[in-house]
Amino acid sequence: MSFLSVQNHRPFHISDIPVISVSEFENSIRQSLQAGFRLISLFALNPEKSEKTVLVVLSNPLTSSISLTATQFSKDDHRFNSFASDFPQTNYFECELAEENLIIPNGHPWLRPVRKQSTVLGDQPYSLYQMEGEEVHEVAVGPIHAGVIEPGHFRFQCHGELVYHLEIVLGYQKRGIENLLLSANSRQQTILCESIAGDTTIGHSMAHVLGIEALAHTNVSLKTQVLRSIAEELERVAMHLAGLGGIANDIGYAIGASSYGRLRTLVINGLALFCGSRFGKGFLVPGGLQFDPDEEAIEKLKSNLTTVLNDVSAINLVLFDSTSVLARLDHTGTVTREWASEIGMVGPAARASGIDLDTRSQFPYGAYRYFPIPLITLGTGDVFARTRIRALEIEDSIRFIFEQLDNLPAGTTQTKVHDLQPDSGVISVVEGWRGEIVHSLFTGSDGKLTRYKIKDPSFHNWYGLALALRNEAISDFPLCNKSFDLSYAGHDL
Amino acid sequence: MFESIRLRILQGDPIVHDVHNPGLPPLFRGMPQIQPEKCPHGCTICVDLCPTNAISLNPLKIDLGTCVFCPVCEQNCPEQVIHFTNEHHITCSSREQLVVSGTEHRITPEIASEKIRSYFGKSLKLRQISSGGCNACELELNALSNVNFDMGRFGIEFVASPRHADGIVITGPMTATMAEATQMCFDAVPDPKIVILFGACGISGGIFKDSPELNREFLEQHPVDLFIPGCPPHPLTFITGLLDWLDKK
Ligand code: SF4
Repeated sequence: MSFLSVQNHRPFHISDIPVISVSEFENSIRQSLQAGFRLISLFALNPEKSEKTVLVVLSNPLTSSISLTATQFSKDDHRFNSFASDFPQTNYFECELAEENLIIPNGHPWLRPVRKQSTVLGDQPYSLYQMEGEEVHEVAVGPIHAGVIEPGHFRFQCHGELVYHLEIVLGYQKRGIENLLLSANSRQQTILCESIAGDTTIGHSMAHVLGIEALAHTNVSLKTQVLRSIAEELERVAMHLAGLGGIANDIGYAIGASSYGRLRTLVINGLALFCGSRFGKGFLVPGGLQFDPDEEAIEKLKSNLTTVLNDVSAINLVLFDSTSVLARLDHTGTVTREWASEIGMVGPAARASGIDLDTRSQFPYGAYRYFPIPLITLGTGDVFARTRIRALEIEDSIRFIFEQLDNLPAGTTQTKVHDLQPDSGVISVVEGWRGEIVHSLFTGSDGKLTRYKIKDPSFHNWYGLALALRNEAISDFPLCNKSFDLSYAGHDL
Repeated sequence: MFESIRLRILQGDPIVHDVHNPGLPPLFRGMPQIQPEKCPHGCTICVDLCPTNAISLNPLKIDLGTCVFCPVCEQNCPEQVIHFTNEHHITCSSREQLVVSGTEHRITPEIASEKIRSYFGKSLKLRQISSGGCNACELELNALSNVNFDMGRFGIEFVASPRHADGIVITGPMTATMAEATQMCFDAVPDPKIVILFGACGISGGIFKDSPELNREFLEQHPVDLFIPGCPPHPLTFITGLLDWLDKK
């Protein structure tokens, strides 16, 4: 096996990545997946060329290592042997590679469009999976849904109430961010990354600024790192509260829904005390932070969080103690540990299925290197577990924030960013509230970005939602959907 | 049941009673104050730095329809010409009104026609369409129904079906892939109907305005009633804008 082994947020020379033959490439990937590596990115480094160099990024959470290797496809042979039948976690990555670069995985069990909706492989039309049978029926929902949410299309194959198969069609949100990032200047890049998924403003900007700072050999102060982590945890708390509120709402538990909503307001208003935006827009920039919160803001945030911690435990007590609530959550939308690990699920949804996976503790970055945060897992993989894990993570995050606020280091929050190193690359992995975010950045000989690949946690987890619906009542779809709470914009880019 | 009552007591009184004077955080960025007379001769720093090209010179003006309130211009101006206040009344009824200069305290949209006010003054139901919105605008629109903002008290609500709606609220830069659905949704809303653009992306494409993936033809065919600037706009900018427009106290 020939791989370049790199560390999270450490730059490397592009020329150090081994470029091996297609068959060696296949063997190496196969062996790594067998050995427990996870596929976290697969893309062409030079999509504009006819001879494409394809890079694979694999990570091993147990050894905290990231491995890279590449192969070159000749002009006329754009094929490799698919891994998807043996390692379903590669399925969607292979579809993406086929859609974007016309590189065809031989023997792929089911090539589907990722963002192009109606076509696969350039011009071949795609028709949605359909079941046949006398009493079988099909339900189509979206792209516009009942609530105020993002667009996506869901196609259910049902027998009575029972869902046999759910196919999720996305791409309605496609804005072309990866390409826009290459022609943008650095300030525009920051704003674009904040908008990959607005609910993960901090998560994606964190991946972006850490990537840029690595390529620019720029070290930021400890204070900056700590404040960034506080912001990341605030975002996690806020969105987990939004998720709990949504779940409470979907099971008709009104007082819970309104209480969680009220507490989320306290958290995002706290973020606004730090940077003016309830989503943390404008807070993180390469080299540091645009704002340095004063004593008053910190005190106000602490008082908001004290209320949240106190009230949230009161609500949780009622929620997790009520038989009628538990009856709706238990054994609904189960994704077993085996399934979750096979399809490469990430984030709280994976941890709810019993998978040890958290970038903050396995590939620690920024302040998490000095102040670790515990990795929590549950086992049942149902809506209950995905609800409960949010409640547990909220408590840990708030505890972390208090500890950091009480010991905030002195120092500057702005460091000058040097020029980006030419012909270099960096893999930037962070743990957004939905899970693992991967940004892969590469520069050309002039130090300008030449390739920017983004992987949002939703890229893995949409498939988890589809599996959760198997053999469930279709009326439980909203609840299952909310328990995953995935990003459409982050998937479509 | 007692637990539920306890939770209700814990809620206290979280509602923002005075939506016009809510006391937003000092750093919240709303209406900018611009003093072009202080601009040094030939200085173009803000124009060069602005990520969305929202600033024009002679005299210095900011187009709030493209601005993402980042606020690089304020942070880098050597003469403090630009300052974003936390004034949230920045909803407009015309695109031109969004290009601001000077030290006007707030923006008030022109009052809606008598017909619109008589139709929608007491009850206004809206259907939201996300067309490439990153979910920040969508979350702020959702927040309008929470116990803090409780927009329902003014008779304004979001509904599921366009057939039940009196107008649409568009978020996002308008992706080509959503163009057909947007048109169909709008067509399903009975007349008379209104169009509201929420956020910099909806108003101008925002940071995505040069993306080849957009299709904003819908806006060439249908007039817009209200523009709500921000990235994302504050929920109270939405509420106060609608109240002012409908001339409700
Ligand atoms: S705050 Fe608005 S006008 Fe100023 S630089 Fe940012 S986008 Fe441009």
